[in-house]
Amino acid sequence: MKKIEAIIKPFKLDDVKEALNDMGIKGMTISEVKGYGRQKGHKEIYRGAEYIVDFIPKVKMEIIVDASQVDEVIETIIQAAKTGKIGDGKIFVLPVDEVVRVRTGEKGVEAI
Amino acid sequence: MAQTALEPKNYSGLQARRQALDAYWQQGVGGNALLRKHSDFIDHHLAESFKKSAPAAEGFALVALGGYGRQELYPFSDIDLMILYDPAHKDELNSLVETILYPLWDTGLEVGHAVRTPDECMAFAAEDFFFRVAMLDARLLVGSATLFGKLTEMYKKAYIEGRRQEFLDDMLKQRTKRESQYGRHTYLLEPHIKEGCGGFRDIQSMVWTAHVVFGLKDLESLNEAGLLSQEELNRFEQAQDYLIRIRNRLHYVSGRKNDQLFFEHQKELAQAFGFTNKEELLGVEHFMREVYTHMQTISVTTDLFFEHVEEVLKGEESSKKGKVLEPDIEVKHGRIHLVNSEHLKEKPKLFMRLFYQSAKTGKPLHFRTRKAITAKLHHIDDKQRHSRRNAKLFLEILLSAKPFSVLEDMLDTGFLTSYIPELAKVESLAQHDVYHVFTVDRHLVQTINELEKLREEEVNIYTVISSPHILFLAGLLHDVGKGHGHGHAERGADLARQVGVRLNLKTDELDTLDFLVRNHLFLSHTALRRDLEDEEFLMRCATRIHSPGLLAMLYLLTIADARATGPTVWNDWKAALLLELYLKIVLLLDRKDISEQEQTRSAELGARWIREKVYELLPEPDDIDFDLYSDDYLLSFPPEVIAEHITQAKKLKKQEVLFSHKPNKESWSILVMTKDRPGLLTRIFGVLALHNLNVLAAKIFTWADGTVVDTIEVSSAISESYDGQDWTAMGNELHLAIQQRLGLEFRLSRKLAPLRNKPQGVQQRLAAKVKIDNRASELYSVIEVFSEDRIGILYDITKTLSDFGISIYRARISSKADQIVDVFYVLDHDGKKIEDPAFTNELQQGLLYAVKNV
Repeated sequence: MKKIEAIIKPFKLDDVKEALNDMGIKGMTISEVKGYGRQKGHKEIYRGAEYIVDFIPKVKMEIIVDASQVDEVIETIIQAAKTGKIGDGKIFVLPVDEVVRVRTGEKGVEAI
Repeated sequence: MAQTALEPKNYSGLQARRQALDAYWQQGVGGNALLRKHSDFIDHHLAESFKKSAPAAEGFALVALGGYGRQELYPFSDIDLMILYDPAHKDELNSLVETILYPLWDTGLEVGHAVRTPDECMAFAAEDFFFRVAMLDARLLVGSATLFGKLTEMYKKAYIEGRRQEFLDDMLKQRTKRESQYGRHTYLLEPHIKEGCGGFRDIQSMVWTAHVVFGLKDLESLNEAGLLSQEELNRFEQAQDYLIRIRNRLHYVSGRKNDQLFFEHQKELAQAFGFTNKEELLGVEHFMREVYTHMQTISVTTDLFFEHVEEVLKGEESSKKGKVLEPDIEVKHGRIHLVNSEHLKEKPKLFMRLFYQSAKTGKPLHFRTRKAITAKLHHIDDKQRHSRRNAKLFLEILLSAKPFSVLEDMLDTGFLTSYIPELAKVESLAQHDVYHVFTVDRHLVQTINELEKLREEEVNIYTVISSPHILFLAGLLHDVGKGHGHGHAERGADLARQVGVRLNLKTDELDTLDFLVRNHLFLSHTALRRDLEDEEFLMRCATRIHSPGLLAMLYLLTIADARATGPTVWNDWKAALLLELYLKIVLLLDRKDISEQEQTRSAELGARWIREKVYELLPEPDDIDFDLYSDDYLLSFPPEVIAEHITQAKKLKKQEVLFSHKPNKESWSILVMTKDRPGLLTRIFGVLALHNLNVLAAKIFTWADGTVVDTIEVSSAISESYDGQDWTAMGNELHLAIQQRLGLEFRLSRKLAPLRNKPQGVQQRLAAKVKIDNRASELYSVIEVFSEDRIGILYDITKTLSDFGISIYRARISSKADQIVDVFYVLDHDGKKIEDPAFTNELQQGLLYAVKNV
């Protein structure tokens, strides 16, 4: 099993969610995060006041999938989240040791 | 008290207690009566136990404390019991305690038990505030009255006589502590009906204080002593009873001692109290509104009471004379006083003047003045609501240094909803979700608080605003449309406008207010859901908002609204997105060419204004259907010109084509009006080209009934004078061409041949461009043509479009020096946007060819 972490632009959340739902992924965890990559923060000056936008607001999505689905999920996310402009985000894939459903105690792929 | 069929003695043993209570409940015994029954039941049982153990008469007393002492036992309340004993009878203590307490423990009841001598009681009272206060409710159940009397005497001497100020200070200290723990407002999402503001502790504090300070035992005596008016007493008792009922049911529903109206329980309780879902309001929202109103009653009444007590104890009442601020109003000891409350009847303008003075001096209103205002609200009539003087003062209050506290006072006294009845609909209106912490009315006033803070925090943005009073007014009214189902922003805008008219705002101020309320959700929705890199979209935002002042107001309103909603609504993350959107739009606004007329009037504001102006100018305006004219059309001409168009259009019933012309400073204006038909524009441009006219600018519109209005700015390509131009011939040819009886094509080729056959090798200095955009407009495809200007170019472009079966609905022709930028809003011959990529390409090629045409 793998965990897929995707950092995407906030306004793309609905699109990605729908695209994942369409391919059969029903559950995910979302957090509001801030960050920057090569996009970096920038400084705006308006009417003499400096506005420094250091960390850009992004959305982080965490999804657990069976290892066989990883490539498909990555592709789906990219398709839905891409704008072609800088700041589109990144996707990370991590290994998962165990998954447990609290209510029933089920483990493994069944519990995803 | 009516006797019910089930009396305590019908049930033996404590085990039957639960059944007894349930039985009463089924019989419909509720509220205070149920509490009393429960208490009586326990009394009866304890008396029996006491008798059984038969101790020495003077040595022991069973005393009830706290809630039990007040005979208020809730279904799952603790039983606060104390066994008072004379130390001389210590040996009998054990057996008594066992007989009394063990059975209680066995049935699993929560028994707070203490076994003390009178001296031990006094010692403990010295250390523990809560016990000290619980002693106020001490009640002898059974046993030695002498022993009990001894204790109460000692207590009175130590803590009541001559200790009034200390007691009051303790009460107030506790109150502050509770406020910081449970919240300052009655309007929190999950009110704690015991410890929260406006809850039972508030009631108890008031009763205890009245007892200690004035020797008054209950609420009725407070009324007799003049501390509570009859009206206040009635409302207070009603509120108290309501809360008791809720607390009873809450205990049953939770199955344990629970004093907080958790979210999960609210729906169930609402149902139990008979509230059903209506179209505009959920049952639970209606129910919670009742709860909040009652808690607010309790909170306000106790606030006023404590202020009164403080004053009495400080002995300030009669001392100094107040400083006169104006006739009938003075300030004394840092409080604004109404000299004589009867004056509110004769001079109702005093209502607003009081609040105005409070805002101006920064001093709060005296509690008696606040009570007077509440009591005399019925003297506020429509005359007061429409009064210009009141309006002026109200707006000045909004702009004062600290408007929030004054507006809170206005809300608490009921003045705000009397003066602005539109707010009455959202009074105490709860919004049933985990998102909103405050009721709507409280939220609106809280928004003012946030705007006050933003005024200090965002100085740079605030200085851009030319009419801050409108911003604050929008803050106060932005959710006034709630409580009617969906679409509260639009509804609120109409209501706000209504209020604005009464406040005597100018037209542009009304429009700004309307705009702010109507669009108060726009920025937050956009920031989270739209791509902030999308230039097209940002341009549209800039056009919609169109002024840096409006944008600044909308931005601050958005932040204030979010902060005043609840703790989860606003955070750094959202702030960053919103700031980004703000900066992007504001920089666009600064860079946009502001010389265009269209910038200064927004699609929503200006069109409405123009409609009104045109209405005024027309002789028979009611015959006119204003829906025919699009916003875009209305924004392109001054009202006089539109009125002229509409009047002229009547002639079209008799004539096929209307043609008029007049000279301007640098060009000539031509107006052509006729019924729409395919290829119309081509023919008009063709005729113009035949007469050697260069088209400098053109505005092409079609009314919804098919009437075409084309205004074209022209100049002579051959430097002909205005009078030298053969206008009559032009008019004739237009008629013929439009009716398809003129051979435009061959005439034009003949005429333009020398111009068209330029020597080879002369390239266009400017590369021609054709852009086809489907996203800029919702209804139409937008075709933009960039090219060098020449005679007949418009004819060629529009002819090409016509050949492709494209219909032109709107066009904007403009030229700068020798370049043209022509924008056409079109649809294909099926009436759809041009989306087929192959066709788009074909069209582009065709147009490029037509434009070059060398």
